[in-house]
Amino acid sequence: MLIWSTAAPAVGAAFLASLVEVVEAFTIVLAVATLRGWRPAALGTGAALALLAGAVLLLGPLLNHVPLHALQLAIGILLLLMGMSWLRKACLRSAGIIPLHDEDAIFAAETAHLGGAVQRHQARLDWIAGMTALKGVLLEGLEVVFIVIAVGAGGGLLLPASLGALLACALVLLIGAIVHRPLSRVPENTLKFGVGVMLSAFGVFWTGEGFGLDWPGQDLALLVFAAIFLAAGLVGSTLARSPAMEVVR
Amino acid sequence: MNLLKDVAAELIGMFFGDARMTLAVLLIIAASGALIGLTGLDPLVGGGVLALGCPVLLIANVRRSKSAVLHP
Repeated sequence: MLIWSTAAPAVGAAFLASLVEVVEAFTIVLAVATLRGWRPAALGTGAALALLAGAVLLLGPLLNHVPLHALQLAIGILLLLMGMSWLRKACLRSAGIIPLHDEDAIFAAETAHLGGAVQRHQARLDWIAGMTALKGVLLEGLEVVFIVIAVGAGGGLLLPASLGALLACALVLLIGAIVHRPLSRVPENTLKFGVGVMLSAFGVFWTGEGFGLDWPGQDLALLVFAAIFLAAGLVGSTLARSPAMEVVR
Repeated sequence: MNLLKDVAAELIGMFFGDARMTLAVLLIIAASGALIGLTGLDPLVGGGVLALGCPVLLIANVRRSKSAVLHP
């Protein structure tokens, strides 16, 4: 039976993380489609999705052969590293210490890069465009695949987590098809902050379980960890924005 | 080959964005594991180190990163 105290954070993390990554992939695919048409964009995207599906089908069954505690520990450590990295970047971006992810700028850069490549290699235009789409979708998709496996595999929630990711893909494609321009108004840094909180909370939870620890409250401990990381992230953002810190130093 | 290189770089970047923070997180995890598995203390002590150490580390790292940018 699905336990919603565990399933909701897993589905939410998979949905939000996928939303961020799919928006980034969509920007690259849209740049390719704008410059060279939808055929190479669709072929590149399809090839990347096939590669990702192949990787999941190939590696997924192997997870069943890994002892549960070892799997929880490995996934927990990787989730903790990834989640805290996302949180750190979101804190620093919120203060302008590192630049925000700008979909319009990425779209312009990709278009210019492709335009330059097209001029240099007139004979292989569609190939270059298709490879650009493939690379964009593959690289962003890798993160989605890892997050879905990471938040789903440890607790038998692969299906709900996959559904969360698919829902995000569908939402981005739907909005993208309607507006037909980079989705620059998506509050990406806020989403990354939220996903960082959830991934870090899952990371602590699975790492502890991997060490054989029974958390008090079991799955509900996830919510406590999320609250702790949320508070830490907010303190981090406030510190990063605070001009007083320079005086303190 | 370029694609494989990019995939490898993406995977490394996913988990090891900031070397100091990565190392510190791994140290906290190791300390937590040692407390849970190697000492006679209540395992929740190790769990507490993990659950509280990582958020504290995050705050310290953000603070340090800001100082590093402002005063290179």
